[in-house]
Amino acid sequence: MNLRGKRADVWHLVTFIGFAIVIIFLIYPLFDVFQYSFKNKETGELSLANWKEFFGRAYYMRAFGHSMFISLATTFFSMVLGIPLGFFTTRYKIKGSNLLTTLSVLALLSPTFIGAYSWITMLGRNGFLRNLFSSIGITLPPIYGALGIILADSLQYYPFISLMLAGSLMTIDRSLEEASENLGARATKTFFSVTMPLVLPSLTGGALIVFMMSLSNFGTPMIIGGNYLVLPTLAYNMFTSEVGESPGMASTVSIILMLCAAVVIVLQTWASSRRKYASMLVNRPVVKKLKGAKAFFAHLICYFIVGLSTLPLAVIVFYSFRNTSGPVFQPGFSLNSYKQIFFDVPKTVANSFIYSLTAVVLIALVGTLLGFVIARKRNLAVKLLDPLLMIPYIVPGTVLGIGFIVAFNRKPIFLTGTAIIMIMTYFIRRLPYSVRSAASILKQIDPALEEAGINLGSPPGRTFRTVTLPLMQSGIISGAIMSWVTSMNELSASVLLYVGRTMTMPIKVYLSVADGYFGTASAMSTILLVVTGIAMFVVNKYFNRGSDTFIAA
Amino acid sequence: MTSIKITGVEKRFGELLALSDINLTIEKGEFFTLLGPSGCGKTTLLRTIAGFYRQDKGDIWLGEELINDVPAYKRNTGMVFQNYAVFPHMTVYENVAYGLKVRKLPAQEIEERVKSALKNVHLEGYEARTPDKLSGGQQQRVGLARAMAIEPRVLLFDEPLSNLDAKLRVEMRDEIRAVQKALGITAVYVTHDQEEALVISDRIAVVNFGKIQQVGPPWEIYKNPVNLFVATFVGKINALDVVLGEDLGPGLRRAQAGSLSFAVPSAGTENCTEAVLAFRPEEVVETDQAATGANRLSGTLVSTAFLGTVVSMELELGGNTIVIERHRPKKADIPAAGDKVEFAVPPESCFIFDKQTGARLRAKEGR
Ligand SMILES: Nc1ncnc2c1ncn2[C@@H]1O[C@H](COP(=O)(O)OP(=O)(O)OP(=O)(O)O)[C@@H](O)[C@H]1O
Ligand SMILES: [Mg+2]
Repeated sequence: MNLRGKRADVWHLVTFIGFAIVIIFLIYPLFDVFQYSFKNKETGELSLANWKEFFGRAYYMRAFGHSMFISLATTFFSMVLGIPLGFFTTRYKIKGSNLLTTLSVLALLSPTFIGAYSWITMLGRNGFLRNLFSSIGITLPPIYGALGIILADSLQYYPFISLMLAGSLMTIDRSLEEASENLGARATKTFFSVTMPLVLPSLTGGALIVFMMSLSNFGTPMIIGGNYLVLPTLAYNMFTSEVGESPGMASTVSIILMLCAAVVIVLQTWASSRRKYASMLVNRPVVKKLKGAKAFFAHLICYFIVGLSTLPLAVIVFYSFRNTSGPVFQPGFSLNSYKQIFFDVPKTVANSFIYSLTAVVLIALVGTLLGFVIARKRNLAVKLLDPLLMIPYIVPGTVLGIGFIVAFNRKPIFLTGTAIIMIMTYFIRRLPYSVRSAASILKQIDPALEEAGINLGSPPGRTFRTVTLPLMQSGIISGAIMSWVTSMNELSASVLLYVGRTMTMPIKVYLSVADGYFGTASAMSTILLVVTGIAMFVVNKYFNRGSDTFIAA
Repeated sequence: MTSIKITGVEKRFGELLALSDINLTIEKGEFFTLLGPSGCGKTTLLRTIAGFYRQDKGDIWLGEELINDVPAYKRNTGMVFQNYAVFPHMTVYENVAYGLKVRKLPAQEIEERVKSALKNVHLEGYEARTPDKLSGGQQQRVGLARAMAIEPRVLLFDEPLSNLDAKLRVEMRDEIRAVQKALGITAVYVTHDQEEALVISDRIAVVNFGKIQQVGPPWEIYKNPVNLFVATFVGKINALDVVLGEDLGPGLRRAQAGSLSFAVPSAGTENCTEAVLAFRPEEVVETDQAATGANRLSGTLVSTAFLGTVVSMELELGGNTIVIERHRPKKADIPAAGDKVEFAVPPESCFIFDKQTGARLRAKEGR
């Protein structure tokens, strides 16, 4: 509707609120990050000293190199795991493939640090698997450092590859491959000349997401990295260490992280813009039934991959039920670890739920309204707001945390140590996902429906409430549930922002691991896992949403 | 049941002039059709009446009320959409009741009105269905019932039948017409299908390039087109470039198309030499039946198309291609390619258009 209403309508207000959020909670804190990086600490003058130091000292460049190496290796191994799984589960009849998908998604959505921590219990200095192997004479390499990070990251992020590959394999019209065969190409020729080119864009997209997630991941390298510093842990250390604390350097590292992320996002947008091959699906691809040894190996590979990524989760759950006394595990089983949580730190559990639920209400509400504005009211202001709202995509949690600490530790907005700052962190980090998803749901709703409402005499506001909103509902709710899960599991920004009374479960897990309280950490992680699992189940069951929702998350 | 008056309406989308100087008066209870090719501005005009677009110039009146600044939801126009726009999350009943609930009518009255609207479109018993369990034609009936239920001042249709199959299209077309007449409601109907327009309308406005070319009842549009565009867009027609020559006696003049010579009406052609001669395929007379010898022609048959009630024959004469029709053909009547076919074009069936402007050249008083 191009009705040039002279009155300011409710959508102008929404646009205004969008700008206010972006300015206060993104531009203002990020500006501080820039300032720290480009200013001399003593004199306050503009200076490139931090940048010279970053590029001049091996210590920093090494961390940069580490980050690149970890991200590339993780991407590589994620593809090694994800491609066969995605291919086999869509093209061959694999028994229990739904279960496989569910378990891999669970690994994907579980808090990032759980995998790392679990591998430590298995392969750490006194890990049971390490002991097992050494008892048969095999000495495994140390798990702390690059190896551990890559292992944990790959086993968490490979579902991005398998899900995106599966998604695009399932939308290749069968007739394309049949046409190729009809024109005389063998199966292998068809695979490499028709199938591969068609799925390549989404494979590239998945790989870039993995790269990005691994690049900005903080929890895993923090727990299992040891002295092996990557950019997020470097920034964290520079910012928090008691000796030689250097916010200027931390900010510089942050900016470099954001630049890398921005490059990846640009590449990813480019990759996904080339993804529009098979939109008009007429003939679903065939799922072949394998026989004999082939079938056995296909099953073996799939179950091995998913089993490997589920193993760390299972170990955590197992450990949470082991008997403990203080930090030490005792023989036998008990609920001691859970008791300890509920007696010692019930507030931590409550905080996690309260903060994430509050954030989710805000995310769903604001995200939906902004999504509507972006999809349906494309005026100049909205066109400006749209890209600004996407900034959080390239701001790693650590960077946002640093920005928030600096910006909100002084007038006019003083939020340090409050619940509000935790909630706003969750809110800002998830908002772009919510806006995007609302906007894309709206793009699938015919604007003629809204026009019909208006034509029948219902004012725009009421039409939105009675026509548009009900149609968006299930998309909004399932998106909100995913936001809730990721907020519950958020560590990288909140670990910089918490104080004792605003402690959350992921932070507690991180601290417990650091202090050697593995029992509590396991129990707390198990609770997070169960929450994640329930959320997935609900989304799947009640909103009939496929794995796409989880990738988007 | 209101008249619509549109004066000097202009609408631009950026550089593009989508509507230019539209002037129309649509009478109470009239079934008025906007007919024109794709992109000519029909939808734009309809949506401007509904209030989804605001015109840049000019006024729109509904009855006595100037509605330029009345928002779309207060205009009380019932619109039927091309892609139905039936609310998928509501039942048939809720869809039809939607506009009535907005108007805060008493429950009793809502129920009665929904009932009667559904009865009008033959959807009794479908109240509890959801739209995904309806066929395209049924969904469009819901759209129609929903628009009628609010008792709008005018009904607006934007190609409501174009998504339906051919048979259903004819059925629904007649139904829309019947319901509209029964309720006596003013209707503005957009289509690019000239046959549909001819059948359904009281009057037609032919639109091209955002301009109204001609307004008139179907008969008038077909039999008396004001310019070459209307003549070619509505119905089939043969058009030949001609040079106008000497007088041929009372009211006639020579028109030369290469080697072919015609006698055509001379009224209105005084200042013109370069012209276009046009005649409809069904207007030709086959020579063995023709008494007068005027405009006798003989062509070589290129191809025939059998259409049931007529045979359409494509002929080649003197480098021109001409289509003529033979009605109620018998098997023996269908000649073979290469045969000679003789026919005559009665001078009074010939339209003459100015080659430059496309305007019809005819006697000043029309008719
Ligand atoms: N919202 C818009 N913004 C910009 N240009 C538009 C808009 N709506 C229509 N147009 C342009 O205005 C012209 C008239 O469009 P309109 O939709 O009225 O055509 P139409 O006669 O309904 O055609 P069709 O039979 O294809 O539906 C077209 O050239 C179209 O591209
Ligand atoms: Mg149109």
